[in-house]
Amino acid sequence: MPSHFVRLTAAAGVVAASLLTSGAWAQDKTPIKLGLAITQTGPYSPPALFELHGYELAVDQINKAGGLLGRQIEIVKYDDQGNPSTAVQLYQKLLTDDKVDLLLSPYQADLVAAVAPIVNRAQKVMPSLAANVEIYNGKYPYLMQSITQTGRYMEPVIDLAASKGYKTIALLVQNTQFPKQLGEGVVALAKQKGMEVVFNESYPPTTTDFSALVLKAGEKKPDVIIGATYLADAQGIVRAAKAQNVQAKMFAFSIGPVEPEFYRGLGSAAEQMFGTTLYFKSLKTKGNADFVAAYKAKYDVDPDYHAAVAYASMKIFGEVVSKVGSLDQKKIRDEFVKTDEPTVVGQYKLDKNGLQLGYESYALQWLKGQQELVWPKDQATADYVLPHSAWQ
Amino acid sequence: MTTFVTLIILGLLWGGVYLLAAEGLNLIYGVMKVVNLAHGDFIVFGGLLAFSLYGFIGINPLLSFPVTAIVLLAIGAVVQFGILERIGLDRGDAELRTLLATFGLSYVVANTSFLLWGSQFQSIPFLQGFVRAGPIAIPQALLVCSVLAFAVAILVHIWLNYTMLGKSVRAVAQSGLGAASCGLDIVRIRMLAFGIGSAMAGSAGALLISLIPFQTSSGGELTVQAFTLIALGGLGNYAGAFLAAELLGLVEVMVQYYLGTNAASAVIYIVFIGVLIFRPYGLLGRAVRV
Repeated sequence: MPSHFVRLTAAAGVVAASLLTSGAWAQDKTPIKLGLAITQTGPYSPPALFELHGYELAVDQINKAGGLLGRQIEIVKYDDQGNPSTAVQLYQKLLTDDKVDLLLSPYQADLVAAVAPIVNRAQKVMPSLAANVEIYNGKYPYLMQSITQTGRYMEPVIDLAASKGYKTIALLVQNTQFPKQLGEGVVALAKQKGMEVVFNESYPPTTTDFSALVLKAGEKKPDVIIGATYLADAQGIVRAAKAQNVQAKMFAFSIGPVEPEFYRGLGSAAEQMFGTTLYFKSLKTKGNADFVAAYKAKYDVDPDYHAAVAYASMKIFGEVVSKVGSLDQKKIRDEFVKTDEPTVVGQYKLDKNGLQLGYESYALQWLKGQQELVWPKDQATADYVLPHSAWQ
Repeated sequence: MTTFVTLIILGLLWGGVYLLAAEGLNLIYGVMKVVNLAHGDFIVFGGLLAFSLYGFIGINPLLSFPVTAIVLLAIGAVVQFGILERIGLDRGDAELRTLLATFGLSYVVANTSFLLWGSQFQSIPFLQGFVRAGPIAIPQALLVCSVLAFAVAILVHIWLNYTMLGKSVRAVAQSGLGAASCGLDIVRIRMLAFGIGSAMAGSAGALLISLIPFQTSSGGELTVQAFTLIALGGLGNYAGAFLAAELLGLVEVMVQYYLGTNAASAVIYIVFIGVLIFRPYGLLGRAVRV
């Protein structure tokens, strides 16, 4: 009775298949676990909380629109307190205990660098919010840079200075990882634009007295004084320049002017200072107006660049996973590096190792107590003021 | 030549700023032999308090520093009476005990500041211009901080050496038991001494925050700086602290200009080690204190 046997086998096959699919179907309804550790308490928490909120807003929106691969996303989050070794332990826990399906990045370059080896060993894709480029040289192929490269931060400033015919730059660099790489970027960009770096000196992060350094930089009579700085040192340099009457046509700093405390602490001395940002709420990028409105509605504050890059990275992550159609990390990785998509921050485009090529930076200037985006021109909210008026 | 003169002036003025930051620590050590490891956090607390007074009421540091001084005076007195007085100041291991207590206190003060003001750097836009002296521009804020630092140093010197209360503070420093047996209320006098030292930290903070941005975690660095300075001058010695401050200010500015800013912090500690090798008790310190 071969036909009977065939029929029986076929019937058994159908039953087995339907059992399997129903099992798979039941499993599909369980939420996708999305894990991260980020600094929720301690001195480094304020920018990190903007990032966390950016992530959470994106996840909310994805869930409301039906979830990812038809499943809701559940966030598993921990607090690393700004400590790299805690971050490593927590990512270990996310990978082994919680067995999360997808990973997001912590805040700060050194924390990302600390967790990079274990994330990569576990072969989990992680869109990373670290601007320094060393970790995207092919060593950790599962890290996707989702923030502007450090070396490009001052690009719009140099571009604007060159367009005004300024020739010489004095560069003051804080002697730590991020500003150093940023300073190297300034030197390279200046060379491209035919400008000359006539003074280039670094200082330790603990420096509070900038008087001799600024005096020396000023003696070179540079057209532009650029600081590869954070907030306190940017303020220290501006104070020293004003108090010692050191003049230049343009003053620009990397991090510093982007913070509201820059103006609050310096008052009129902050007028006409240039800074850079990776994002501005007025940007005419895709979906930005909606993002700003949604963020403001949910958190009662305007998003800053941390919130925007985090939001954009989660959105892109969702799109890539949808395109792949599964949680296969290898496939997600291969699809990720092919991304060339507009986001609220700008065009998201990676090289084959996951280095960010698309994201740019924007120049802002403090004018009459307001931060205005002044360069590139097509995104400007106000006309720039140059040259810098003499100190009074 | 103009540059050289400018550097000398800047160095001397920054010396005054460092002196201002160290005077409270020096007083407390000098009269009580307590190294207050929360000193820097007191400075930051005073500074951020002045920042709020400026932001909310609009009063500038020259008007608010007496306020921060009074607040810190009260805090200092409570710390002395409530903590240090309870852990055995007259015992042999008193220095170690007070070190541990003030170390813990530094965390309490820093985290209180964090809860009140958050972690961002803050400062006050005040006296940012310069005074012109021929071809030289002298920074206003530096000038004011230095003059006040010297004024405070002189006032404390007069208080300790020429007033009854100051003399009793020194008597308690010399021997608590001896002072008590002469009828001095040593608990009250220690409260006063620690309170005044803390008040000096608080007022220094109010002035310094218009020159150096503070965040709540800046305290540790300030304590180390201040301690280096008073150790260099001879712990508890006022003229020594003055000399040390000027030496550090000049060395820093000169090395910054001629050798680079990275070299400056190294050279300062080389000078520090050199002085301590040849004069273990500091520039003007003596083997037997006060």
